Amino acid sequence: MADLDQLLAKKVADRYLKREVLGEGTYGVVYKAIDTKTGQTVAIKKIRLGKQKEGVNFTALREIKLLKELKDPNIIELIDAFPHKGNLHLVFEFMETDLEAVIRDRNIVLSPTDIKSYLQMTLKGLVFCHKKWVLHRDMKPNNLLIGPRGQLKLADFGLARIFGSPDRRFTHQVFARWYRAPELLFGAKQYGPGVDVWAAACIFAELLLRRPFLQGSSDIDQLGKIFAAFGTPKASQWPDMIYLPDYVEYQFVPGQPLRTLFPMANDDALDLLSKMFAYDPKARISAQQALEHRYFSSGPPPTEPALLPRPPPKRESVDSKPSDFGPTVLSPTRKSKRVISHPEGYVDKVDDHGIGNERSGPAPMSLDFSVFEARPPARPTINSADRTHLKRKLDLEFQIPEEEEED
Amino acid sequence: MADFLTSTHRAKWIFTPHDLKEKYKAANHRAKQLLEKYGATRVDVDLDGSLAYPEPQTDVKDNAEKHSRTKPLKIDEEQLLRAFYEFKIQDVCDAFKFPRKIQATALIYFKRFYLQWSVMEHHPKDIMLTCIYTACKAEENHVSAEELGKGIDQDHQVILNNEMISLGFDLIVYSPYRSIDGFINDMEDFIYSNNGQLQHLKDLQETAKMVADKTMRTEAPLLFSPGQLALAALRRANEEYPVVNFERYLNNVLSRQYSARPVPELTVYLDAIDQMVNNLVTPTAGDMKHIDRKLKYCRDPGSHEKYPLILFVSFKYSEFDFNKHSCLTSGKCLNCSPIVYSNRSKKRKHRSKD
Repeated sequence: MADLDQLLAKKVADRYLKREVLGEGTYGVVYKAIDTKTGQTVAIKKIRLGKQKEGVNFTALREIKLLKELKDPNIIELIDAFPHKGNLHLVFEFMETDLEAVIRDRNIVLSPTDIKSYLQMTLKGLVFCHKKWVLHRDMKPNNLLIGPRGQLKLADFGLARIFGSPDRRFTHQVFARWYRAPELLFGAKQYGPGVDVWAAACIFAELLLRRPFLQGSSDIDQLGKIFAAFGTPKASQWPDMIYLPDYVEYQFVPGQPLRTLFPMANDDALDLLSKMFAYDPKARISAQQALEHRYFSSGPPPTEPALLPRPPPKRESVDSKPSDFGPTVLSPTRKSKRVISHPEGYVDKVDDHGIGNERSGPAPMSLDFSVFEARPPARPTINSADRTHLKRKLDLEFQIPEEEEED
Repeated sequence: MADFLTSTHRAKWIFTPHDLKEKYKAANHRAKQLLEKYGATRVDVDLDGSLAYPEPQTDVKDNAEKHSRTKPLKIDEEQLLRAFYEFKIQDVCDAFKFPRKIQATALIYFKRFYLQWSVMEHHPKDIMLTCIYTACKAEENHVSAEELGKGIDQDHQVILNNEMISLGFDLIVYSPYRSIDGFINDMEDFIYSNNGQLQHLKDLQETAKMVADKTMRTEAPLLFSPGQLALAALRRANEEYPVVNFERYLNNVLSRQYSARPVPELTVYLDAIDQMVNNLVTPTAGDMKHIDRKLKYCRDPGSHEKYPLILFVSFKYSEFDFNKHSCLTSGKCLNCSPIVYSNRSKKRKHRSKD
């Protein structure tokens, strides 16, 4: 029984040497550790099991289930998963930072080829997921982790699921709001990989603007922001729109030329962006087609990952004072699921006056929420309560209401 | 996840017949040693998945006496016991009206579990429930452990306790049903079907799925790919309800693949699967009595009947004592009434409005 026995009882002690805590959240603690078997630095997500009524946490189960099958250079590697002393331990490869930290670090200048590189890696990860019939459903900069050699990897598969079964209905309550595709905002239950592509487009826009592109304060407002940018969709643009469950008519607004919205982007970038932001999910470019777009093949090639600008590693940033330029965006204070090392709460201390003097100097935009308020709205995220709720309430044909709540 | 080729299922969980035999032998041998050493084989599982082995017996005399009485299960008895519980898995899943896919997933988890353990160490009844529970979860059809336990009068804590050890194996599994659908779809083009034939094709599909239900209880899922299982089931069903010339269809399928195996080789596999389905025995509760008694003794000779023969009374939907369950009044029990489902979907609709 040596095999399984070891797996169950001794592994943490035997194989992984615990180092400092990287973060703490509702699910438990994430800490850094050394894998003595390989010498590799790893991040261990420790999930409390306690006396949970429903055993292994859903998010964790999904992550284990899917990541065991998804092995790709642009997807976070799940090295191991095992129970130990009443906790479930998920061992991931160690990642230094995430794309959100890159975007909001005012000391970093992102060149067009840097942006191209980050987007390319994002799309490569997505293509792989979609090829394996997995929807990520929580694409956002914060979930794109960056490794020690600059490699970007998709992480957090807690909302991901397999698609492709005919007539399967899913919940539309996925993605953090700012990254939610219009069909989801209109309550679509049957959707496909296009939702991830829309989110990737939002990330692309965010890389260009250095702040979240469409910062809706509610689902209704989110659609308003989308329409204000691209114009209210006409029936010819998106014939199926009016049949969506939560469809409501919006007052017609004309939208703005992409060139005005993204003055710093070149023609190829704008063309790709417009195709990724296509209203009709059927007309939206696929992740694979996006990778083949001439944006990637023409002009200067994407920056080598190892040469990409990144925030300084943890130790330095703790010692040095926060940068003079305040970050534009407030990050959620709770990042329970992060497997990265930038200090939490760092953002909270800094006030937000940096908007006007951003280096990249985006054009003032009517959409920009931050212009009207001292602080931009906190990044909406699917908080853990929602997630638990979601995981229990939705998608699940047989699930039982009410009593499922815990935590 | 439609990519079987790169799956853990293909890489780690398809064996040779020899491998299987060795694994069953090793598990049986280990349990035997436990019995010799400790006079018991039961391994307890804690909520966190940690295991407690039997306490070594200090009373040598007592010990020796017990040993003379307690005989371990033989390998084929273990096999029979597993077969019985695999049948039960289908029974329970039917009673809960779970989709076939869940049933197949639960069966595969169960099979994988007993590649590593002997039934003497972990009682198949507990493992059966855990496998069903985990299968529901992994296939995104969640049922609470409590409801599952309640539905069949079992303590749900056992389900949860064992869940952790189930994580030792990979959760995404492939079953032949999806492949059957795919092949049927493909056949539609193959036979240029008119309406009459389409109906026949439907019958063929249903029959093949019923054959696959049986196949899932054999060792074949640990030996062959889901596509092969599906083709074997279709061929068998096609013998009953001839719709296509199967030989020609196989040739047609293989001619479209780049690196496919030749037809004769595939036929050997299909024959082997067929053979297993032919040889499948479904043990009855009567058959099990003797083995079950033996199992009880070697798991824990000292204890009193810890595992009542509850499941040996065939669990039937119609025999279910509805009055015992809150489900009818509260509308929460899954196994009792399909009305519950519609209630639930109404609730869900309501929720999605806010």
